[in-house]
Amino acid sequence: MPAIVARNLSKRYGRAVAVDGASFEIGRGELVGFLGPNGAGKTTTLRMLAGLIRPTAGEGRVLDQRVPGPALRRVGTMIEEPSFYPYMTGRDNLRYAARLHGGVPDRRIDEVLDFVKLDRASDKRVRAYSQGMRQRLGLARSLLWSPDVLLLDEPTNGLDPVGIAEIRENLRAVAAEGVTVLVSSHILAEIEKLVDRILAIDHGKLVYDGPLDALVHRLDADAITYHLRADDGPALLAALRALGLEAVAEGELGARVTLPPADADALVVRLVGAGVTVLEARRQVDDLEGAYLRLVRGDGRPS
Amino acid sequence: MSAFWNVVHAELFKLVRKRRTYVLAGLWWLLLPTLALIVGRVLVSNLAASFANEAGGVDLLVQTIASPFGIARISIVGPAYVSPPFYVIVVAALAAVLVGEERSHRMWKTILVSQPSRPAVLAGKLVTAMLAVGVLLGGALLSGVAFGAAGTLFLPTTFAGEWGGLVRAYLLQWAFTGAIVAFAFLMVHLARNVAVGVILVFFLPGLLEGLYTVYAAVVGFQPINRFNVFLQGIRMRQVLEDLPTYFFTANVYAPARSPVRELAASLTSEAAADGLDLSGLLGSSITLERAAVVAGAYALLFLALLTWRFLRADVD
Repeated sequence: MPAIVARNLSKRYGRAVAVDGASFEIGRGELVGFLGPNGAGKTTTLRMLAGLIRPTAGEGRVLDQRVPGPALRRVGTMIEEPSFYPYMTGRDNLRYAARLHGGVPDRRIDEVLDFVKLDRASDKRVRAYSQGMRQRLGLARSLLWSPDVLLLDEPTNGLDPVGIAEIRENLRAVAAEGVTVLVSSHILAEIEKLVDRILAIDHGKLVYDGPLDALVHRLDADAITYHLRADDGPALLAALRALGLEAVAEGELGARVTLPPADADALVVRLVGAGVTVLEARRQVDDLEGAYLRLVRGDGRPS
Repeated sequence: MSAFWNVVHAELFKLVRKRRTYVLAGLWWLLLPTLALIVGRVLVSNLAASFANEAGGVDLLVQTIASPFGIARISIVGPAYVSPPFYVIVVAALAAVLVGEERSHRMWKTILVSQPSRPAVLAGKLVTAMLAVGVLLGGALLSGVAFGAAGTLFLPTTFAGEWGGLVRAYLLQWAFTGAIVAFAFLMVHLARNVAVGVILVFFLPGLLEGLYTVYAAVVGFQPINRFNVFLQGIRMRQVLEDLPTYFFTANVYAPARSPVRELAASLTSEAAADGLDLSGLLGSSITLERAAVVAGAYALLFLALLTWRFLRADVD
């Protein structure tokens, strides 16, 4: 039974479409990254799953129950920047949330504060907290009632590298206990070391759902780039162009060519047949960031 | 514990950590009784030995103002006659803490995930506000008695008074305040800004009632001539007397104003004997029974609107 299900989840604000028919399932205990540029629809999707906004169409289900509903009592969230009462201490903010939820023993507050390494600062008023401390306090609050599902919206926002690493470690520890985690980010590098599966969203549409490494392979399915070297550079270029391919010279003896995967296997054979002595044929392996940018931008160029 | 009681528990936890709760209590529990005692002391010092007290009039006045019963009565009556009434100030401040700050601190997203039952959240917050009003009112009664008891040590006052009626007025005013709470929650929830919401709570009812009074007085008013001037005058007076019986502001403070009914009656008894009806002085002409119906109707209307809006609203 999946922990999170989105079925044709859509949200419109007037004419603007924030989320357009997103459908996915996340199994129990999975740690999934929710990736997309700013304004892609990540936060709106998480809000719908957290029961904060109503979908215009479709439905969200958490722990096999429709949301909003009682299943949300077993969900911890941190949507956008975590919010607190600034006049209360960090500990009192957690006490307030614990009372609101009910059934949270006081010792659990100490446990989560210790877990996010805020135990020493817990008696300071939140207005004196740094951005990083607020993020960690938000994570502590989302863990208060030992949730089965965690929905985290850019939990590393505004953190320095050390803070990001700490949050990453915390999330790994939480996932290791069997908690289902859906964590969003607009920066791939922040979550690529954390998750195995990616949901990518752009302009409200889910554009990718699958394993992290398959993201690269899937994009390779559209076009493959080869770096070729031959004993005669101009002849290599001429042969490639004669085959109807757009080739770019790389040095005196080399060329770069991008072609459909179906044509790739026979490329070297066809070049040899054209009388070119191919010394090297190296397939370009796209890095994850490049693949992601190509996915959301179409052309691979950063925005 | 149910979701509802969890919310009440949490909101009370928050209220006791809010400084303005203590400012409101201090104003109500300390300021008014202290002023009453000072006035009583000044009256005794300046007038007790003068001709003005030959018939015991000053002693009676001091008993009315600074006795335990008198101060407890002032503590419920006084807040109803200041402008805007202190009751609405208290309730608006509570609504700002319990509803308005959730928006300004962007806490709704936290609250409604910590406690996903929206009906429980709304009901819990409303009941918390009513409990806070109850504590403030009860505290006003007790502080009035305490200050008055201290006054008996240096003023010619006693514990005499119609205590049963006064306690009943306190209980009724607490119940009637439910309509103000519902209105304040609705306004503060609808306004995108807490300050705007509080201003609406203070002034919107009076503004609407004033506009409607002008409208009702003007509509159907015929040009005056020597034949209809008397009838038009009667009609105008009738309109102006009848309208307030349906107004929010005229009814929700009726219990707090009820203790002055006797005072107004005694003040106007001579005029009444002369055939001049001044029973409506100080707004005491509205009966509690009628006020209860009107306030209850307003409370139901505001609660229905608030519930409809709150349960459907998307959270930023």
